[in-house]
Amino acid sequence: MLIQEQLKEIIDNNEIVLFMKGNPDFPQCGFSGRTTQILQSYDVRFASIDVLADDAVRAGIKEYSNWPTVPQLYVRGEFVGGCDIVTQLYESGELEQILKPEA
Amino acid sequence: MVAPQDIQNWISQGLENSEVTVDGDGQHFEAIIVCPDFAGKSLIQRHKMVYSALGDKMKSEIHALSMKTLTPAEL
Repeated sequence: MLIQEQLKEIIDNNEIVLFMKGNPDFPQCGFSGRTTQILQSYDVRFASIDVLADDAVRAGIKEYSNWPTVPQLYVRGEFVGGCDIVTQLYESGELEQILKPEA
Repeated sequence: MVAPQDIQNWISQGLENSEVTVDGDGQHFEAIIVCPDFAGKSLIQRHKMVYSALGDKMKSEIHALSMKTLTPAEL
């Protein structure tokens, strides 16, 4: 399967998915670490994909989102943003509605 | 090595009428970009405008850039 199709499948099959460097327990970059901490501050489950584990995923997700950096957060198929945007949405309170629209 | 001033110049050249301030240590940079063209745009659209001003430099020279994107009215 093409990498772009694989990425679409990951994004479609996970309500909340974070493409990051490392994993939530051992983030390999400050921006991935901060984004993880913000997500963990909410009572939500999220999938995480370590882009460092696969160069095709690392390059592919940048192309898929037309976004040059990692981390990247997807919620219900929609690209939410990278660390700066997630931080800003967290500070404004909008992130909770994005993550838990039914609450 | 990339200096904050370089990034400031690249963004200003790519985004007309923008006021750009960049801080950084050669590896990690923080930019504040104020531009009237951000009005009515989402955060994702704003960041994409900055990324496209930087073009391929995001892939090579710039390791980590965090940014705040504001319109003059949001300052």
